[in-house]
Amino acid sequence: MTPLQKASVLTLVCVLTFVVGWELYCRSQHLGLSFNDDESLWAHTRKEIYQSSPSRPVIIGSSRVKFDLDLDTWESVTGEKPVQLALAGTAPRPLLTDLANDENFKGTLIIGVTEGLFFTPDGSFPEREATKRVNFYPKWSLSQQLSFHINRVLEPWLYFLDEERLALRPLLTDLPIPPRPGTWGGPKFPREFSVTKFDRQEIMTDAMVADTAIQNKVKAVWMDIGAHSPKQSLPPFLLTAILNSVKKSVDQIRARGGKVVFVRMPSDGVFREIEKKSHPREQYWDRLLAHTNTPGIYFEDYPALSKYRCPEWSHLAPKDAVTFTQDFIPILQQKTGWPIRIRAAKTPLATASRSVHN
Amino acid sequence: MVFNSYSFALFFVLLLVLHNLPLPWKAKKINLLLASYLFYALWNPPFILLLWLSTVVDFYMARLISREQRSAPRKLLLTVSLLLNLGMLSYFKYGGFLLENFTALLSSVGIAFQAAKPDIILPVGISFYTFVTLSYTLDVYRRKAEPEPSFLNFALFVTFFPHLVAGPIVRPEDLIPQFKVPHRATSQQMTWGLFLLSLGLFMKVVVADTLLADSADTVFGVPFPVQPLDAWVGVMAFSGQIFCDFAGYSTCAIGISLCLGFVLPDNFRYPYAAIGFSDFWRRWHITLSTWLRDYLYIPLGGNRKGNVRTYINLMITMLLGGLWHGASWNFVVWGGLHGIFLCAERLIRDWSGKRQRSFAGTNQSDNVLTGSIAQASIIPVSWNGRVGKFGLALLTLFLVDITWVFFRAPDFGSAMRILLSMFGVIPNGAALLTSLDILKVGTVTVILISCHWFMRHSSLVKLGSRMPWWLLSLIWTGMVILLILTQKSSNSFIYFQF
Repeated sequence: MTPLQKASVLTLVCVLTFVVGWELYCRSQHLGLSFNDDESLWAHTRKEIYQSSPSRPVIIGSSRVKFDLDLDTWESVTGEKPVQLALAGTAPRPLLTDLANDENFKGTLIIGVTEGLFFTPDGSFPEREATKRVNFYPKWSLSQQLSFHINRVLEPWLYFLDEERLALRPLLTDLPIPPRPGTWGGPKFPREFSVTKFDRQEIMTDAMVADTAIQNKVKAVWMDIGAHSPKQSLPPFLLTAILNSVKKSVDQIRARGGKVVFVRMPSDGVFREIEKKSHPREQYWDRLLAHTNTPGIYFEDYPALSKYRCPEWSHLAPKDAVTFTQDFIPILQQKTGWPIRIRAAKTPLATASRSVHN
Repeated sequence: MVFNSYSFALFFVLLLVLHNLPLPWKAKKINLLLASYLFYALWNPPFILLLWLSTVVDFYMARLISREQRSAPRKLLLTVSLLLNLGMLSYFKYGGFLLENFTALLSSVGIAFQAAKPDIILPVGISFYTFVTLSYTLDVYRRKAEPEPSFLNFALFVTFFPHLVAGPIVRPEDLIPQFKVPHRATSQQMTWGLFLLSLGLFMKVVVADTLLADSADTVFGVPFPVQPLDAWVGVMAFSGQIFCDFAGYSTCAIGISLCLGFVLPDNFRYPYAAIGFSDFWRRWHITLSTWLRDYLYIPLGGNRKGNVRTYINLMITMLLGGLWHGASWNFVVWGGLHGIFLCAERLIRDWSGKRQRSFAGTNQSDNVLTGSIAQASIIPVSWNGRVGKFGLALLTLFLVDITWVFFRAPDFGSAMRILLSMFGVIPNGAALLTSLDILKVGTVTVILISCHWFMRHSSLVKLGSRMPWWLLSLIWTGMVILLILTQKSSNSFIYFQF
């Protein structure tokens, strides 16, 4: 063997040893299997919008509709699974504009409203990731699609292929380096917070649901985000511009026969109190519905939807998401009059016992 | 298809298997050609027609030029080839830019003209394969090369996937002779090729995309001034990013070719250890700088027509070299600055009267912009010590980094804002980068400069042969582990847009 060949053999052995060891370590952390919620997964899901109907709506919004509307439960109730396009931490307006500009989209749209993200000006930080996805979709090359499908085969088997929690970038971010005064590196969620399923359903991990210490870490992240968010309220002209842009998109979709509804998912605790002050319902939510002449479901208006507590003030636990969804669908049907097919009710326990490990 | 993707990994494994089957050489070449078309088509299939057009026209034009003995018809045939190649390049790359500037020009003289915004998509790699085919036709026209009789060999030379979309910009003599006889990688070539592929991917995925890109994007992406520290770190981040991105691609391309048994020319030789700008251009994007030297600078007269013409020729070459990178005045400014630095270097040399070859051990036959330009050096005798040279290398890098500001900034105003921030001219800039960002960029920059400095008279092959095999394995393992930890990276290579 030449020295180069010896080096290659030793490298192969070392790398394989590392991969096995790293995979075992990742599994030992009990973080749950999570799919990378990247541009390709979003684009793959975006392709499904053309078969949408009241029973199979397209969902856009921020993280709350990703956690709180349980897709499997929805499917068990209506027989069809919604198309989940919501993006955590983003404003959904770029997605709404994209769907409105897509002449072939004539379906049903549920828009989750988290006021602090929804009512942000064009080009603001919460819009960037959403805009990136929208711009990526038409450029999703054949090569990227092929890579996505290969990745899709590998991801369920290899826990370490988790870019958001176990790749070099998040590992470096976790290093205990003192912050530079005057700068903010963005929110640092605990790894145990949640996982993403292949259908883009977001669910809290078992550890998150069980451990109040982890829940408190997430609460601290919300406070950290609040501390770094703009303190002043939106100038009236910007709010009007946002409302006008939303109305334009909603009208475009409805003009083609599509259906739209706004939904406000639960939040509670300190977070809810801050939201009430920063985005009073009458100034934002009520104006949104009136300006766009669109129906809306606000969780506090319905005892069946407002009975839930969020472990970290902002999202429902998986078990609650199941019953919340079961309660939500009849309310949606009643509020909008949409022809949603509802199958005979299944026992909630049949699906409520799920966890991130099944 | 990008090298840093699962689709390429699958493609490459299948191709390696196919290439090593006991098939006739012609069948293997057809496999390689079809694979190269597939590699390209998986981006945007219709653009493959442009590639075919360029290939077919240049193949037949070169044959006709070769057969024709009369000067005027030869020139006409060459013109047809140039018009087609440069016409396609101009339309796709500069169409929008030309229209935009034409509109602005009319507007400046009071004529209101609003053209419809052209929706032109730039075909990946068009600048690279256009230069590849042009070099072939020009060489045949200048009777420096015979036309290749085999269309298969020529098409494979143009289309060979490792170099197709981002170089190295190969010349006919680099590749066509290799296609004439059966090639299959030896085990040594295969192993070294895989090492280079790992190194290239490490440079791109780990260093450029993961450690540096975010800081550069942050600093260059904000529309307001930043603190001097942030501005400098952002520029250093881009400086490292563009090297690791582009040199990473070239290293991958060379490694992949080697795995198939073919040798591609070097494209980078530790440019951040360059002493002076002529040295920089001997080390940075070598295949472009030599192309510009041979097909632009020398035909313009090079340094054979007196000092003034030499400076003019240098400036023209660098301005067009800048414009080659993209349809933006910022690239022209970038090229112009490099031209000014090259001219200044030559002026200083002439003024001091100290003509000396600057780089012992460097292969002088690879001079970038002809003999005397390449000899230009700003090294006074007293700076010839190791510390002095290192200081001059840092000074060169400092000036190169200044030029990168124009290369990276989205527009001229942003570039000026970053420059003013760098030198503290704008007070009260924002602090943007975190401690981790600064630590990452600082660490990578120090390691990068150190590697370039210690490797400036050497090469990877020499280093690899001198190093104990276990140490080479340790480095290789470290790179692959970091690659696995970083996982996939969907970012395209920066030079794809050129």
